[in-house]
Amino acid sequence: MNDRLFELLVDSFTKILIPGLTMTIPLTIIAFSLALVIAMVVAMIQFAQVPVLKEIARLYIWIVRGTPLLVQLYVVFFGLPNLGIMIDPFPCAVLVFSLNEGAYCAETIRGALEAVPKGQMEAGLCVGMNYFQIMRRIVIPQALRTAFPPLSNSLIGMVKDTSLAANITVTEMFMTTQRIVARTYEPLALYIEVALIYLIFCTVLTKLQSYGEARLNRLVGVKTTR
Amino acid sequence: MALLEIHNLKKSFEKQEILHGIDLIVDRGDVIAVIGPSGSGKTTLLRCLNFLEHADEGQMVFDGSAHDLHHIHGKEIAAIRKRTGFVFQNYNLFANKTALENVTEGLIIGRGMDKDKAVAIAREALAKVGLADKEASRPSQLSGGQQQRVAIARAIATSPDVIYFDEPTSALDPELIGEVLDVMRALAEDGMTMIVVTHEMGFAKNVSNRVIFMEDGSIVTAKESKEFFEHPEDERIQTFLSNIDRKEA
Repeated sequence: MNDRLFELLVDSFTKILIPGLTMTIPLTIIAFSLALVIAMVVAMIQFAQVPVLKEIARLYIWIVRGTPLLVQLYVVFFGLPNLGIMIDPFPCAVLVFSLNEGAYCAETIRGALEAVPKGQMEAGLCVGMNYFQIMRRIVIPQALRTAFPPLSNSLIGMVKDTSLAANITVTEMFMTTQRIVARTYEPLALYIEVALIYLIFCTVLTKLQSYGEARLNRLVGVKTTR
Repeated sequence: MALLEIHNLKKSFEKQEILHGIDLIVDRGDVIAVIGPSGSGKTTLLRCLNFLEHADEGQMVFDGSAHDLHHIHGKEIAAIRKRTGFVFQNYNLFANKTALENVTEGLIIGRGMDKDKAVAIAREALAKVGLADKEASRPSQLSGGQQQRVAIARAIATSPDVIYFDEPTSALDPELIGEVLDVMRALAEDGMTMIVVTHEMGFAKNVSNRVIFMEDGSIVTAKESKEFFEHPEDERIQTFLSNIDRKEA
């Protein structure tokens, strides 16, 4: 590797990392947190078979999962201004990513809720607890233990998907890299560099996942017996 | 006055009638063994009594207050459940709670009891089933017999008027059945009212004071245990008992 290229990589490392810390990570954290809230509500509505709302939940999941994330970003960012709805790039990305991820996570959580044996609810009713008490104290904690690995998967997936926000002018890591490439004509080295930074982020998350699973095991007790 | 009266309880699953109008009277202190071939509706009957299944028809008089089993209100159900206990075939301990928490949950959360008081009651209940030293264990760390004993502790901790047992030993390894039956026998001797769906003829014969024999969704006969086993005049009962003898031989 020649010195010029080495210098470029060192120099661009912080240039790419900074939008990673100020854009990619906040975007991921905010959007994923909102996604979890949406997912929890949508999953609970389906699990509890709430009439009408249940149909709306299915419709939401159907539309979101059946259309590309990139197209969703375009519709909201470039399309909605036709109706007079203008949203800034960052909030727009938060909105689309959280709605998108919310649909996938809702299915994960619904599946995890349904995997908790029916007997847990019945036993709760028989000791005099009500539906909400049993959900909060017995069913949801067990479901979250089941849902934790696939939800971690979704979170790690979202870190990488945030690169799509470059398309709606959010200056996150990938867009920053593209700009440096345009100036320096070193696409191979720079794109590998940004890939490695994504890899570092995701490695940290993977470590956090193992730590979180171990903690949850202690908190919730290991898997349900049946 | 009887503790519990059931009149004409009917239950269907998808148009197939499983219970054809059950009548049942339970006095305080009764230990009733409900026996019969599988598919006869024993478990469904028990589950209807605690509203885990919703009966299609019938009346219940619980400690003097009458309820329509089909049109019963959620509040009435909750009130009755707080005076009953239920022990499941597969224990159904709360998997995310310790043995002690399994017992206190219904007291603290279900009944709003003060925590210290609930813990004291729960420890006493666990001691009664011989598991005082296991209060910090999770269900996954306990054997089947131990789990079922915790489940019984959970049921007795709330001082219910009656405890329903749904085949409490059927999921257990043979060598663990005895410890659970011993606890149930002790409860019976304490005067606890119990309705026990069981295949344990020894328990039916020696512990219960009455036996109900069910077949095809009806009660074929209900009599004193001694009488039932000494003079099983009905042919269906004779067949059932000889089948069980053959299995146990």
